[in-house]
Amino acid sequence: MKLSAIKYILLFLAQVAVWNYFNFTQYLWLVYLPALILCLPLEYGTVRAMVVAFLSGLAADFLVTGQLGMTSLALVPVALMRQSVVRLAFGSELFARGEDLSFHRQGWQKFLLCIVILTSIYLIIHIWVDGAGMYSLAFCAIKFGISLLVSSAVSMAIAYLMLERTGERWR
Amino acid sequence: MPRGQKTSSLFVCAATFILLEVAALALLHATSTLQDIWITRTSHRVMAFLWGSGETVRSQFQLDRLNRDLQAENARLQERLRAYERRDADQAELARMAEREAASYRYTPATVVKMSRNRTRNYIILNKGSEDGIRPQSGIISDRGVVGIVEAVDRHYSYGLTLMNPEMSVGARLGRTDVVAPLSWDGRGTGRAILRDLPPHYELTPGDTVRTSGYSTIFPPGLPIGVTGSARLVDGSTLQVEVSLFQDFAALRYVTVVENLERTEILSLEEKTEDAR
Repeated sequence: MKLSAIKYILLFLAQVAVWNYFNFTQYLWLVYLPALILCLPLEYGTVRAMVVAFLSGLAADFLVTGQLGMTSLALVPVALMRQSVVRLAFGSELFARGEDLSFHRQGWQKFLLCIVILTSIYLIIHIWVDGAGMYSLAFCAIKFGISLLVSSAVSMAIAYLMLERTGERWR
Repeated sequence: MPRGQKTSSLFVCAATFILLEVAALALLHATSTLQDIWITRTSHRVMAFLWGSGETVRSQFQLDRLNRDLQAENARLQERLRAYERRDADQAELARMAEREAASYRYTPATVVKMSRNRTRNYIILNKGSEDGIRPQSGIISDRGVVGIVEAVDRHYSYGLTLMNPEMSVGARLGRTDVVAPLSWDGRGTGRAILRDLPPHYELTPGDTVRTSGYSTIFPPGLPIGVTGSARLVDGSTLQVEVSLFQDFAALRYVTVVENLERTEILSLEEKTEDAR
């Protein structure tokens, strides 16, 4: 099994552990699964990434809340938008050259942009569906803001961990 | 990447995305009550919006026809409204007439004490007299029509002539033609009378109802008398019509004396007019 796959599984389990054992506040939903999806190898096409996102979401829901479908519903659009966001942030040359994402080559700012966009997509859908129309817009907006801030920061570290070896390869 | 391959790739992406999202929604729908209610409510809202929009578009294309239908319905309703207004006006007029007619006549119930039926001049005696307000030249009627006229009044009894008198004549009106003619007894049967001096150009139908004309000062208009039978031409200039009377004199027991309260005023006016000539 590839190292990246092992990392993916371990970080995924860590995310499940965070959701199960760390309840910080109702205004914070700490999530870095979008970063994991972003860090999947670029050779994975959109369809494959969506399937991985769907299965990951399903497994997370099964292991955490039991509300099957909630995480998948928010994570599949992240996988759908992944290549477009990468093109937006890093340019098309990345795909033309067949390169993978690298912290060292592309710099952390572009990663941050990608992570913020993808995490926003995830959080918007998740907070909207999870609230089921019961919470006010202000509450949802505050929760979105705090969650985006914290999750993006954590996601940057996670993305660094995921792409560590890739970076070394291009050093 | 060739264009066709790119299009098919996009199509596969979109189809996979929709499939996975629908699967996620279905799972959520099945496993979470709160989200289940929310999804159902949202889907109802979306469906209502779609149906409402569709209906709005459809109704826009039908406005011409709806306008025509509304105009036609409006015309029909206006016609009905006018008919109701006319009917109300007619009813109000009839009510005024009936009220005036009721105020013009006084009705006194009486019982027949004695009555002849087999003479040339038949009479009737009633158990009500001047003390009961009965006046000479009042009409005697029953629920089946005209009976006779009061001729003389005592304190407790009245004497009248029945319709079975050749000299007695009642102004009558034929139902459909509305023509007015004098009606008198034919001197033979108890249930028959003759309607005389009818103009020959009227087409009379056997079975028409004959009623009082109201032209006399004795009987109110519209009292039933009988139905017409056969007609015949007399002297080549007038028609005579047989009338079967509703009144069965053999079974007569209770009557009503009807007095025209405006009779004196009418007669006085007639006399003045005669004197002036």
